[in-house]
Amino acid sequence: MRERRDTFTTGATSGPTPTSTPTSTPAAVPAPAAAHAGHPAPPVFSKRAFALVLLGTFGAAAVAPLASTFFGDRLALPGALATGLAALSAAAFGAALGAAAAVVARRLAFYEIAAAALLWAGAVAVVTVVPAARGSAVLQPLESQGTLVVVLGLLGAGALAATSVFVGATLAYLAAGTGRLDLSLSYELFVARSHLRLSPRTIGGLFALVVTGLVPGLLVALAWSLVRDAKERRAYRRGELYARRRMPATLLMTLISIGGVALGVWALTVVLSVMSGFEADLKRKILGHNAHGMVLTYGQNEFDDWRGIREQVLGVKGVAGATPFLYNEVMLSAGQNLTGAILKGIDVETVGSVTDLPRNVEDGELGWLPKPDRIPHGARLPEDEAPRAGAPPAGARPLPGLVLGRELARSLRVFVGDQVNVVSPFGDLGPAGPQPKARPFRVAAIFYSGMYEYDSKFAYMDLAEAQRFFGTGDTVTGLELKVQDVDAARAVMGRVVFALGGWPFRAKDWGELNRSLFSALQMEKVVMAVILGFIVLVASFIIIATLIMLVLEKTREIAVLKSMGAGVPSVMKIFVAEGVIIGAVGTAFGLILGYGSCLLIDRVGIPLDPEVYYISNLPVLIEPAQFALVTLAALALSYLATIYPATKAARLRPVDGLRSE
Amino acid sequence: MSAAARSPFVRIEGLAKTYLMGDRRLEVLRGIDLDISEGDLVALTGPSGAGKSTFLHLVGTLDVPTRGRVLFEGEDVFERGEEGLASFRNLTIGFVFQSHHLLPEFSALENTMMPALIRRVSRAEARRRAAEMLGTVGLGDRMDHRPGELSGGEQQRVALARALCLGPRLLLADEPTGNLDPQTAEGIHALLSDLNARLGITAVVVTHNERLAQALPRRLRILEGRLV
Repeated sequence: MRERRDTFTTGATSGPTPTSTPTSTPAAVPAPAAAHAGHPAPPVFSKRAFALVLLGTFGAAAVAPLASTFFGDRLALPGALATGLAALSAAAFGAALGAAAAVVARRLAFYEIAAAALLWAGAVAVVTVVPAARGSAVLQPLESQGTLVVVLGLLGAGALAATSVFVGATLAYLAAGTGRLDLSLSYELFVARSHLRLSPRTIGGLFALVVTGLVPGLLVALAWSLVRDAKERRAYRRGELYARRRMPATLLMTLISIGGVALGVWALTVVLSVMSGFEADLKRKILGHNAHGMVLTYGQNEFDDWRGIREQVLGVKGVAGATPFLYNEVMLSAGQNLTGAILKGIDVETVGSVTDLPRNVEDGELGWLPKPDRIPHGARLPEDEAPRAGAPPAGARPLPGLVLGRELARSLRVFVGDQVNVVSPFGDLGPAGPQPKARPFRVAAIFYSGMYEYDSKFAYMDLAEAQRFFGTGDTVTGLELKVQDVDAARAVMGRVVFALGGWPFRAKDWGELNRSLFSALQMEKVVMAVILGFIVLVASFIIIATLIMLVLEKTREIAVLKSMGAGVPSVMKIFVAEGVIIGAVGTAFGLILGYGSCLLIDRVGIPLDPEVYYISNLPVLIEPAQFALVTLAALALSYLATIYPATKAARLRPVDGLRSE
Repeated sequence: MSAAARSPFVRIEGLAKTYLMGDRRLEVLRGIDLDISEGDLVALTGPSGAGKSTFLHLVGTLDVPTRGRVLFEGEDVFERGEEGLASFRNLTIGFVFQSHHLLPEFSALENTMMPALIRRVSRAEARRRAAEMLGTVGLGDRMDHRPGELSGGEQQRVALARALCLGPRLLLADEPTGNLDPQTAEGIHALLSDLNARLGITAVVVTHNERLAQALPRRLRILEGRLV
């Protein structure tokens, strides 16, 4: 349209043409000049729209942390929910301003948004280079993770903000691009359906194809195609025409795009669910074996009034259980086998109220710790110790008991009832300095927590026995606590320290104790989501290609629709609807497949080598929020993929479509 | 309203269209002036490439002129902007093309309903109007057939019904009978004349067929981009 106008301006100087004849009145003489001023092309760049878009992009990036603080700290919502709500409010803010920009510009405001995004990128570059800006409080959490994370994080945030503005702008243009609000989709859907040719039968066939894992379905399709080819050739030899119904190329493309989206969504949901499963399993094992938090003291051997303090701690709101422990590192030996271990003195009475140790015992009994005389005698005894251990002299005190992890027992080659020597590096003072102190114990029980770390490192003995062995008197290292709500452990631990009056007491919660592990898991999950998200991204590119093919195929139809009065937003709606239908059907397939696969993994179980993974089956945790997030991402990508082809279709000049024959 | 009273129904002033094909300028229309009154039935003839279709497209606002303007009851339609033009086409203009341009996936009825649906008329109302219009063109019994299942004349009748569905004030027909045998062509022309007489529709009909053109009350001829 604009090129034509250029030719106009060159010719307009001639004024009324020489051929102006009968009807040309004096009043009509200035007409060409008026006409040429009358329908100018709309401006390409609107400053007001740009201001709105800029506010939307930078505002959304600013709203996100503020909303996160509001929902997380003020309303005290759980972490994931607060983050989700914060992201939603930021996106809504950006989308609202994008919508305003589109209404002001009466266009998609694409150039304005691109300019705002570039400005954001420039700002990121400045922030990265200027040290003062990097030190600001806002960037502090990112700053600690390195420059690359800062830059990528800021660019990502900007991209997301600009995307939300763009989504808002396009939606507003589609709804109100004609100058008045028009949410109707009636004939657009009608036309879109005819373009896609998605009959229930076709969709069913595609679903069968995807469910059968593509290969068998494709083989059947190939065989069928070969049979028909043979028929066609035979008919040709006989001189007959065998009219074979061919699948239209655009339908094939549509089906491929649906399959692509389905595949991406499937992979994303399954992998994320499995990773959640691993995370949940790990959390369960760590929290089952460990306390949710512990109360310690600064300095050593100060925790002597532990019985009173335990009562005090149990009175704190949110604390479900408390048990004392004494922590030491020792060497264990049995026969020729030697290994290091962490030895914890525990109170057998109360330990069950904090950890799963009593429930994890797989051989022997925890209750034998305080009553070592009940420990049965082992089948295999070291040769040299056999006489002593086999028949303790009457009246002598029986050897005290010891509980070992399964892996620890295996590496020492001992079973319940066998004797194990515990060697502490800090023993009595001998003539040549401190002498290691060694003492025989007998295995009272063997536990299995499922975590290799714990099963190979931990040994337990009765608290009183440990105090005697290490010569600590009646003190403990600290108290282990169980809280009612695992996710509130941090707050509860704070209350505990406050109730104890602060110094010399300090507390740690499980998150702090295992921070690196869980943040690594979280990072891994994000990276996986991004990588698999690329499958969906690629699928959305297929949607773009499919829609462009459809636009090319339907050029004439678009021209006819425009000649009947279909406006730009209206034509756009047709192709947006097509892309979103493709995306929605694909996402639905993917979700069904993903959910089915997760159920299958959960019910049937995929065995893992426990030596490697320390878990016997592939864990899976179906989180509805995760599924919802994947759905949202897939639909958003399919929607965004439609914008370019739809614009292309809507900008077609009707004359070109009518002429192309 | 006063402008409408003064001005003719459609006034075309110095309408010119130049295409730039690389370095070559192709002057398709070189300034056409024409008044069309309400109720006119105009035949437009001329050899191939004389600019008949381009003229029709410009009057129908499917293309933008290089020079000149089209006044519809005194109003320069090209000042309306893109969306304004779309609704102008929807409400005021009905097109019939040489090769009917029906949408192949839809039945005759659905094709005829399309302009009404674009105008956001309710589906039931659109169906009613379309059925009525198909009855008017004599296709009341073939409404559920797809274009592929209709003969050439019938297809062109559906196209006519579609163009007339919303009761446009100006019907633009671009060689509506170009692909038809003489007998069928005559039928279509008779139908056009009949509709013009009965409904008072203003129509501009481009045709190659001199004999059919002779039958229409007002005849114009385009030669090398000029009205002669």
